[in-house]
Amino acid sequence: MNSTEEYDVLVIGAGHAGCEAACATSTMGLKTCLVTIHLETVAQMSCNPAIGGLAKGHLVREIDALGGLMGLLADETGIQFRLLNRSRGGAVQAPRAQSDKALYRLTMKNWLEKVPNLTLFQGIVTEILIKNNKTFGVMTLEGNRLLSNTVILTPGTFLKGVIHMGLHSYSAGRANEPASVELAENLKKIGLKTFRLKTGTPMRLHKDTIDWRQFKPQPGDEKPIPFSFRTQRKLENKIVCYIGYTNQKTHEVIRNNLNKSPLYSGKITGIGIRYCPSIEDKVVKFPHHQRHQFFLEPEGLETAEIYVNGVSSSLPLEVQKEILRSIPGLDQAKMFRPAYGIEYDAVLPTQLYHTLETRHIKNLYLAGQINGTSGYEEAAAQGLMAGINAALKIKGGKPFLLNRHEAYIAVLIDDLITKGVEEPYRLFTSRAEYRLLLRIDNADKRLTPQGFKLGLIKEKDYEAYQKKQEKIKKAMHFLQQEKMINEKREKISLKDFLKKPEVQFKTVLEYKKFNERLSDEEIRHVESEVKYEGYIKKQGKEIARIRKIDGEKIPESTDFREIPGFTGEVIEKLAKARPKNIGEAKKIPGMTPAAVVNLHIYLKCQRGKNHKK
Amino acid sequence: MKGMFEDTIIAVSTPFGSGGLGIVRLSGRKSLSIAKKIFKPKKNKAKIRPLRPILGNLYHLGRKEFFEEAYLIYFPQPRTYTREDMVEISCHGSPVILEEAVRLGIKAGARHANPGEFTLRAYLKGRIDMLQATAINDIIQASSYKQAKISFDQLEGSLSRKISSIRSQIIHLLSQIEASIEFPDEGLRISIKQIAKTIKDAVLSVKKLIESFNLGKTLAEGLTLVIAGRTNVGKSTLFNSLLEKERAIVTPYPGTTRDYLRESIKIGDSLFTLIDTAGMGRPIHPVEKEGIKRGKNLASQADGILLLFDASQKETPEDLRLIKKFKDKKTIFLFNKIDLPQKMKKVKVQNEKKSWSALEISALKGTNIDDLKEMIHDLFVPNQKQEEEVVLHLRQKLILEDISNCLTEAQRLLEGGYPEEVYSEEIRKSIPLIGQLTGEIRTDDIIEDIFSRFCVGK
Repeated sequence: MNSTEEYDVLVIGAGHAGCEAACATSTMGLKTCLVTIHLETVAQMSCNPAIGGLAKGHLVREIDALGGLMGLLADETGIQFRLLNRSRGGAVQAPRAQSDKALYRLTMKNWLEKVPNLTLFQGIVTEILIKNNKTFGVMTLEGNRLLSNTVILTPGTFLKGVIHMGLHSYSAGRANEPASVELAENLKKIGLKTFRLKTGTPMRLHKDTIDWRQFKPQPGDEKPIPFSFRTQRKLENKIVCYIGYTNQKTHEVIRNNLNKSPLYSGKITGIGIRYCPSIEDKVVKFPHHQRHQFFLEPEGLETAEIYVNGVSSSLPLEVQKEILRSIPGLDQAKMFRPAYGIEYDAVLPTQLYHTLETRHIKNLYLAGQINGTSGYEEAAAQGLMAGINAALKIKGGKPFLLNRHEAYIAVLIDDLITKGVEEPYRLFTSRAEYRLLLRIDNADKRLTPQGFKLGLIKEKDYEAYQKKQEKIKKAMHFLQQEKMINEKREKISLKDFLKKPEVQFKTVLEYKKFNERLSDEEIRHVESEVKYEGYIKKQGKEIARIRKIDGEKIPESTDFREIPGFTGEVIEKLAKARPKNIGEAKKIPGMTPAAVVNLHIYLKCQRGKNHKK
Repeated sequence: MKGMFEDTIIAVSTPFGSGGLGIVRLSGRKSLSIAKKIFKPKKNKAKIRPLRPILGNLYHLGRKEFFEEAYLIYFPQPRTYTREDMVEISCHGSPVILEEAVRLGIKAGARHANPGEFTLRAYLKGRIDMLQATAINDIIQASSYKQAKISFDQLEGSLSRKISSIRSQIIHLLSQIEASIEFPDEGLRISIKQIAKTIKDAVLSVKKLIESFNLGKTLAEGLTLVIAGRTNVGKSTLFNSLLEKERAIVTPYPGTTRDYLRESIKIGDSLFTLIDTAGMGRPIHPVEKEGIKRGKNLASQADGILLLFDASQKETPEDLRLIKKFKDKKTIFLFNKIDLPQKMKKVKVQNEKKSWSALEISALKGTNIDDLKEMIHDLFVPNQKQEEEVVLHLRQKLILEDISNCLTEAQRLLEGGYPEEVYSEEIRKSIPLIGQLTGEIRTDDIIEDIFSRFCVGK
């Protein structure tokens, strides 16, 4: 007889989303089982060996501020650190780090093994068990039943994954790992609408076969900045990345072989990612570009593998080799692994609530690439939120929802659920309405108290957070109170002086002494708060106004067909997206303002009626 | 929702076009006090009572002469459409006059209502019930989109092209800035010089558009007509005759009018500012000299000239010089004093400038004064189509000014050395504003904007 085991929460898939989800639920005290196809590839970085970047680095900071793992892990396993956009203001600065892939994987597994309440289990899930529109566990390929009233599904690119290389293709979730075909079919069967997406990864080359003199080095920062607010140790750069360019010859090779591309021959039907295009896409879409930039990034310290960032491709191996031969410095390069494209099933995220629970099936949560996103950071953020909300639901608490002005995490989830996706979704800072409020330097201020309340931030870390806030408060007070004489012989506060774009906190200290020593991190926060003050205030007012109206709730029981004057299309959209309030209704793609007004008026009248009753 | 609307709004609440009667509405706490600043009852001591129509005049702030007769009704809250204090001013239905009344209200402290803001207020205060909601739904479906669309279409083709081009200019710029922020490693940075130039160009285009609206008939302020002519040809008599009252002091002596006089008159549906200048002969008195100088200035800035000749006398070199002086202006030849024996060779005078219209009048006897009014109307009042454009213009102009402010602020921040994410915030703000202008539907904005598809002031 096959075994049956019972848990509070099952997390299916141990990628970046799954690990965060499982860690959150178990830390919140729930007996959790993290099921993965292959225990050696927990938290595998399937594509580039890097964490962070614009918006993504912001996400990592937020994950960290809430008590997630990614920031700590990126610091722990980082081998080169850079703060992007140093020449710009604090709101658009973000950390990025090259990671040692193997170390990342091993460290994550090691950490998870030590988390109380958490079991790691290797198995291939084939079925979500459902009774009365409610999940009660999963079935594995081996025929074992894992029982739980809550399932968090984070299968990445594994759902019916098909790898393409030239016109050759095979079923896989990642190179050399089996795809989840049965599960994909099962999801359709239980009523979730899926669609095909496509992404890709470039080739990996042997370090010693590259002529490095041909490339421009891109070193890390002199003073690396950690992702995590909790990282204490000094970070070190251990590697250098290099920048190179394709050339006309490369482009000719690609153009001559487009008929062998599964994308251009029509074999791939999934929608590709615009933000991270394959090299053949770049050549076709920007024919006038003389060259395209790429980066050579080491995959780790203990390996000779070099990741060629910017040359992802699904062309056949022979053509890939020819591409390499066309680039001076790579012409002799030996390939460890070829580039490939991968197609996979994603679930239309408009079928979810903001908690990431599916609307159809109770207690089934989806997070990560399955929701149509791309990127480790986007996945991790969703995993954490799904984990938190699943745990809260089990414990009978209120959902943990963030607003768009509070976190990039909210911008991401809100976009997915209210707008849906048509191509792999990547977060950008410009997707946020209040970019100057959502900064890496205040992520802790925005989220850590909530992380602490949820039980994800430890007591001692919270104390450190509070101390930091005290210090910042003192610094702000100091800037406000202390005065100086400026070049126009006017008496102004140090704060007003600091508001000038060219003035830094350390310049201010040349005028007046401040008897506390601020860390660089704290200085960055103080500078941003002062320099953006006008905008922060203005936007604060605007937010308050919008929130009032947006917050008006739409009862679940609302029958949109009853609303006079609605077209069939609008009714369908509303019924499909099931907005919870006016704010959400407004964001449904294609919803006309008139329809929203209509809805608003109708609800108001309904409320009036109910009131009278 | 209490306390959400602190300010008092004003808008024309009757449909565009020249209906017989037009209504300007105020809503908000200060409705009455603002109305009192621009409206004075005819009877000095008459009091404004709730729900009682009262006859009076509309005044320019701080000016003594009124420009329009009007009825005012005061509706105290809460039993009003918006559940706020409201005032309705009914006057002649000319779009010009209505817009002028709105402008006065704004000067007196009101804010121009966003389209549909009255309904928004009514709705938010729980004033609308199910029945009305259905009716409003009809309005939204039937006319609001059309309205926004019409307002955009009504802009001359070249203007709408200009707005579209400004929009793409700004979006293009923004996408360049944003791309360089999002992808710092890709070498996409554009030079500050280039950004500054694009913003500057956009500001210029917007400002030009604002000006073109101003020129494109500042009907809200009325066209300015100057009565010109050498001394003692009867300018003040004509002035009085057109105004149908004794405003200027008329004497048989040349140079009586030493400074200029200004009055608003209504001809047909349109508002004009009529200016009586001092005669342009050789001045005798220093005061007169100053008056002539001012008159000349006014004439050069006027929209039109009524050039007056004394037909009972022979034409003088001064007469001919004046024709030359106004050759680039829209001018009407007026041969005055036709009640007296005629000595002027009118045909000869007229041949000096054949494109001008001419009319024989007697200002003193009132002969042909109605014909003159008709001629002024035909010559200066734009046709219906242009008029509709003008009705929309105040709001459009205000939006354009907001856009200009955003871009100018971006420019200032850029020049002040602020980083991209700061000035791009200002540029970002301008895009929904352009949306308001083009009637584009914006989904990600507050509900107030949702209501923007309603007819103004409904």
